[in-house]
Amino acid sequence: MSRELKEAIIFIMPLVLFIASFILIPVLGTFWNSLWLDVPFVARKFVGLQSYFRLVSDEQFWQATLFTTTFALVSVLIEMIFGTIIALVLNERIRMRGLLRGIALIPWAIPSVIGARVWQLIYRYDYGIANWVLQKIGLASVNWFGSPLGSFAALVLADVWRTTPFVAIIILAGLQTVRGDVLEQAQVDGANMFQRFFKITMPMIKPIIIVALLFRTIDALRVFDLVYVLTGGGPGGATTSISLYGYKFFLLGDFGYGSTVSVILFILALVLAVLYIRIGKLRAS
Amino acid sequence: MSWRIITPVILLCLSISCKRETSKLTFAVGGAPSEIEYWAEIAREFTDSTKIDIILLRQPTDTDQRRQGLVIPLRAKKSDPDVFLMDVVWVSQFAASGWLESLDPGVETRALDLSKFFSSIVEQVDTYQDQIISLPVYNDCGILYYRSDLLQKYDIRPPTTWHELVHSATLIQEKERLKNPQFYGFVWQGAQYEGLICSFLEFITSNNGSIFNSSHNLVLPTPRNISALDLMKKMIHEHKISPPNTYTEMKEEEVRLSFENGNALYERNWPYAWGLHTRPESPIKKNVAVTLIPKASAGRHVAALGGWHVGISRFSDNKKQAMEFLKYIVSYAIQKKLAIDLGWNPGRSDLYDDTEIREKIPHIEVLKRAFENSVARPNLPYYPEISEILQKYINAALSAKLSSSVALAKAQAEIEEIVKRYHE
Repeated sequence: MSRELKEAIIFIMPLVLFIASFILIPVLGTFWNSLWLDVPFVARKFVGLQSYFRLVSDEQFWQATLFTTTFALVSVLIEMIFGTIIALVLNERIRMRGLLRGIALIPWAIPSVIGARVWQLIYRYDYGIANWVLQKIGLASVNWFGSPLGSFAALVLADVWRTTPFVAIIILAGLQTVRGDVLEQAQVDGANMFQRFFKITMPMIKPIIIVALLFRTIDALRVFDLVYVLTGGGPGGATTSISLYGYKFFLLGDFGYGSTVSVILFILALVLAVLYIRIGKLRAS
Repeated sequence: MSWRIITPVILLCLSISCKRETSKLTFAVGGAPSEIEYWAEIAREFTDSTKIDIILLRQPTDTDQRRQGLVIPLRAKKSDPDVFLMDVVWVSQFAASGWLESLDPGVETRALDLSKFFSSIVEQVDTYQDQIISLPVYNDCGILYYRSDLLQKYDIRPPTTWHELVHSATLIQEKERLKNPQFYGFVWQGAQYEGLICSFLEFITSNNGSIFNSSHNLVLPTPRNISALDLMKKMIHEHKISPPNTYTEMKEEEVRLSFENGNALYERNWPYAWGLHTRPESPIKKNVAVTLIPKASAGRHVAALGGWHVGISRFSDNKKQAMEFLKYIVSYAIQKKLAIDLGWNPGRSDLYDDTEIREKIPHIEVLKRAFENSVARPNLPYYPEISEILQKYINAALSAKLSSSVALAKAQAEIEEIVKRYHE
């Protein structure tokens, strides 16, 4: 073995070990677990893909999948739009830009469970701020979490509040790579604001947008803390996310089936990640 | 998501495999920090008199985390903890998993006297395959709190039937709304969580309904259960004596605060609320009283059972000393200390006639009757899965998304699948 190769291995080893012990082994372990009937009060036995068949006919799992994907789609779309707008504003030479950039990041800096608790205080039926405002302007109180749609909207709003700054900061970083002289030249040539954005800025920051989309979609698919705190999956199971559904089985003691749900969530996120990266590469080349 | 759970599990398993030799007893106990401190004191006194050292394994307050903290070492057949407290609903799962040592030897040698405990509780919770596997340390059950000043003002007696409750709640709510638009007749736990099952169990059992019949068959969509669930729905949507957020937000603390702030006439809650309702800064401190949960006119008074039970690990390497400690915890003296200093409702029934305790907890007479009529949640190892399904469908019925009969029929079908899975 050449000295160069040895050195390379030594340098790469820590990273490989880290990924193996904290990502690869847990993922493979979860998959292996999903092939077993693993409940403490029943003899552990190998059942192959049985849990996956159970999943196919599990109505609540499909309900959770439908909720999770709709939630990811709607909230990420809104976050991308608002994030881009905020990034464009913060990229302009406006007064107190540094301060504004800092303020815009606050929701993202708040731990999500604490953010969710704050939203709980807003949505509370009896002493929530939202209903207090409604009462002050002479309207009746609304039971925000009373209907599936109301719960869904409340969760999306809370998620948009928290993660739009994250999208904004990533896109802002992208915007700063767009050369000013190109835009000025376009302006001289008579391109209006929208033409400049969609024809020049957008294509130039596309890779960055893909990155933001990738992070946000995967994160939204794993949504747990918001749902856990705000609705607990209710009303009647309408807002149970896949990760909350899987977590409940770990809590109940059904480790095999909980692992199965987790594996599906992992595959879903993996497929999306590959898809995004593919799209990003195609456009870039 | 999966990594977040699996990684700590793997790390814990690794640490567990490093087994250490010890002749000390490990006692796992959770709860509020002050409660754990109290247990530390009890353990110290035990060590002083017996020379058996106790290591206190401090657990968090959260019930689910306490359960995980026990399941992980027990699954790994670890010798510690030797003695631990279990929530009433875990006992059957722990027993069926083969984690609990039989206490029968102690019963046979009369070291443990079962006649000093509520037979309804010992039969429903602490007996597994004709063996005693745990004993109650702290009992809990549903009771009805009411505003004694308001009932007096309108010259109404505390309700004994659901009909009386609905009637008086409607009447008083209408009058009190003039002063307080936030006022509701009856607040109870209806959110989608474990507490909903306790409310549901009380409504159906007090109507002579049940989840399983006497031959252990699942019988959810029966006329009695359907009419009980209908009553729960009607309280929210028709009589409107329970607030609209009953099925979205109402858990123990929400219910307690609503009542304590003077916004409710009746409250279904656990005995812990008494101490808070009557503390000096409570707005209703002088105007609260308790009675049994109402019944249907042809039904009976019942109370959903909660509480904590003590057991010994099958894998303990100090079973003899563990038995000594268990005996000590359920002894008259220690149970009395817990009742007087922490306000806990004793696991032993003979303490309910103790004069000092009667002075300290004046409503203990009501609690005694409630425990005698207590009804436990299904005593099955896979109960948590049953509970998840029931919570979802009862909550869907309360939200008026499903009719009571459809909700219970759907729950029946889904739970039957689970029962089949574990009995094939």
